[in-house]
Amino acid sequence: MTSEEIVEKIKTDQGKAINSSEVNLGDSVIFVGAERIHDIAEYLKNDPDLDFDYLSNITGTDYLNEEREPRFEVVYELHSIEKNHSIRIRVGLDEEDPTIPTVSDLWKGALYPERELFDMFGFNIKGHSNLSRLIMPEEWEGNPLRKDYPLTIEDVTFSHNREFKQDLVKSKPRTR
Amino acid sequence: MTVTDQGLLEREKDSMTLNMGPQHPSTHGVFRVVLEMDGELVDSAEPHIGFLHTGIEKTAEAKRYVHVIPMTDRLDYLSPPGNNLAFCLTVEKLLQTDVPERAKFLRVIMCELARMASHLVWLATHALDIGAMTVFLYCWREREMILDLNEEISGVRMMTSYIRLGGVVKDSTPGWLQSVRNFVEYFPAKIDEYERLLTRNPIWLDRTQNIGVMSREEAINWSMSGPVLRASGVNWDLRKQRPYSGYENFEFEVPTGKNGDIYDRYLVRVAELRQSREIVRQALKNLPAGPYKVDDNKISLPNRKTLKSSMEALIHHFKLVSEGVSVPKGETYVPIEGPRGEVGFYIVSDGSNVPSRVKLRAPSFMAIPGMCKMMEGCFIADVVGIIGSIDIVMGEVDR
Repeated sequence: MTSEEIVEKIKTDQGKAINSSEVNLGDSVIFVGAERIHDIAEYLKNDPDLDFDYLSNITGTDYLNEEREPRFEVVYELHSIEKNHSIRIRVGLDEEDPTIPTVSDLWKGALYPERELFDMFGFNIKGHSNLSRLIMPEEWEGNPLRKDYPLTIEDVTFSHNREFKQDLVKSKPRTR
Repeated sequence: MTVTDQGLLEREKDSMTLNMGPQHPSTHGVFRVVLEMDGELVDSAEPHIGFLHTGIEKTAEAKRYVHVIPMTDRLDYLSPPGNNLAFCLTVEKLLQTDVPERAKFLRVIMCELARMASHLVWLATHALDIGAMTVFLYCWREREMILDLNEEISGVRMMTSYIRLGGVVKDSTPGWLQSVRNFVEYFPAKIDEYERLLTRNPIWLDRTQNIGVMSREEAINWSMSGPVLRASGVNWDLRKQRPYSGYENFEFEVPTGKNGDIYDRYLVRVAELRQSREIVRQALKNLPAGPYKVDDNKISLPNRKTLKSSMEALIHHFKLVSEGVSVPKGETYVPIEGPRGEVGFYIVSDGSNVPSRVKLRAPSFMAIPGMCKMMEGCFIADVVGIIGSIDIVMGEVDR
C-alpha cells in the first residue's frame, strides 16, 4: 500500500481514535493520544491489510525550546515485512505526567527502546516488565536527553545556546 | 546461601550466577551478561549495557549538521560509511535534495567495501571465539587491504567521514578505482579459502548447527534485523525493499537461511560477502562521469577554482564554513541496510543549523534482548558462539 492509501484506510477505520494524520515527505504519519496508543498499535498489527508485524524503532523527543504543547513526543516506526510498507506514529506526552502504555506485549522488540525512554527521558512506561535504568548507571539522577539537562556542567568555550545553558548550570542539581 | 544450625553453608537452589564481561574478550567490546546457570545450562541471561556510553545523541544536539558526520563514524565503528550515509540521506530528505549519480555510485562502493570489512571482522572474531585461529589471520589480511583503500581515498583508515551532505568529500582517482578493481578480482578466491576452512569442518558444524535457533516469527517479533533476520528465513533487505542511493541499479541476490541457527547466519554473511563484491564490481563497471557533489552552494562547498574568481562563491564558502547548513523544519527517518541490519537516523530539525534531536536506530541495540532469549537453555560454551553470531558493536549499542 502507498502512504496515502495507508493514511486513508486508517482514517476510515479508526477516524475517531486518531487525532490527525498526514503524509510527510512520502511517509505516512498518524498522531495518536497516549491513552489510545495501545489500541491503535493492536489494530495496526492485527489488521490483515496493514499487517505491521515489525517494530523498527521507538524514539523520544523533547520540544522544550519550541514551546509547544505537549512538550514530549514518543515516535514509533513500524514496518510490514509481508506488505513492505511503513508507518510512523507520533504520540504527544504531557510534561506533568509523561505516562504511556507499553507495546512490548505486541512486539517484544519494544522492551529495550522503552527502557531507554524511561532512562533518557523519564517517561513512565505503564505495564513494562522491567522498568529500570538501561544505559546510565542505576544511581544516576536526571534524564540526560531532556532539553533542560545541560550538555556539560563545566563552562564551555563556545556554544550555540550559551546563555540558556549557563542558566541551567546555576540551577542544576548534582548529577550523582 | 544460608548458614544452617551446625554452622554449615547450605545452597538454597541448585543454580549459580555467573558474570560474563564487560572485559571478557568474547563479548566483542564492553558487553556484560549475568548468566543464571543450572550446571552447564543457561537458565536465564540478563544483559547489562552502557559501559561505552559516549552521549553522541546528546552531543549532536549542540553540533552543526556537518559536525555530526564524524561522530556517526564512531557509532558503528566497523562500518563508518554506512552510518555517514544513513545520516546524510536523512538530512538530504529534509533538505529535499538529490545527489548526482556519480556520488551515489561512490557512496555504494564505500558502503559495500565497509560491509565486506565489517563481515571480515565478524568472521575473524566469531571463528576465533569458537576456536578457529587461522581464519582470524586470513580475514585480517584482506581487511587490511580494504583499510588501505579507505586511506587512499579519504586519508583515514577507519573513520573515513567520506560521505558528506550533498555527495562525497572528494572525487575518486583513476588509481584508486584500479586498486578497488584489483581487490575485487582478488577477493573471491579468498572467500573460497575461508569456506574451505569452515563450511564443512565437522568441529565448526558441531559448534554452530541447531544452536541459538530463532524462528521466523520470533525474529520478526523481537525486532532482529539484517543477517540474523534473513538467516531465519525472512527475505528482508532494505537495499531491495526500499532502494536508496541507487541500489535499484544493481543486480544482486539476498541470501536467506532456513533454520535460523548460528550456522545459517554464517552462511548468510559469507554469501553477502560475495554479493557485496558483486555490487562493487558492477559499480566500478558502470560508474558514471559527472559531478561528485550537488551544485548547490548552500549545501556543499563551492569548488576551489571558483573561489579565486567568484565573489558569490567566496560568500557561500564563508557562510557554509561559519554557519553551516540550515535544514528546514521537520522530522524524518530513513532506514538503510547496514552490515548488522537496519540503520536509520530519526532527525528532528527546528529550522536552524543545529539538529534538535538525532536518534540512531541501531541494529545491535535492538538485537540484544533477542540474543539473550537465544541463550536460554543453551550450554555455557555456546554463549560466546551466540554473541558472535549476532555481531554486536558496542559503539552503537550504547551510543
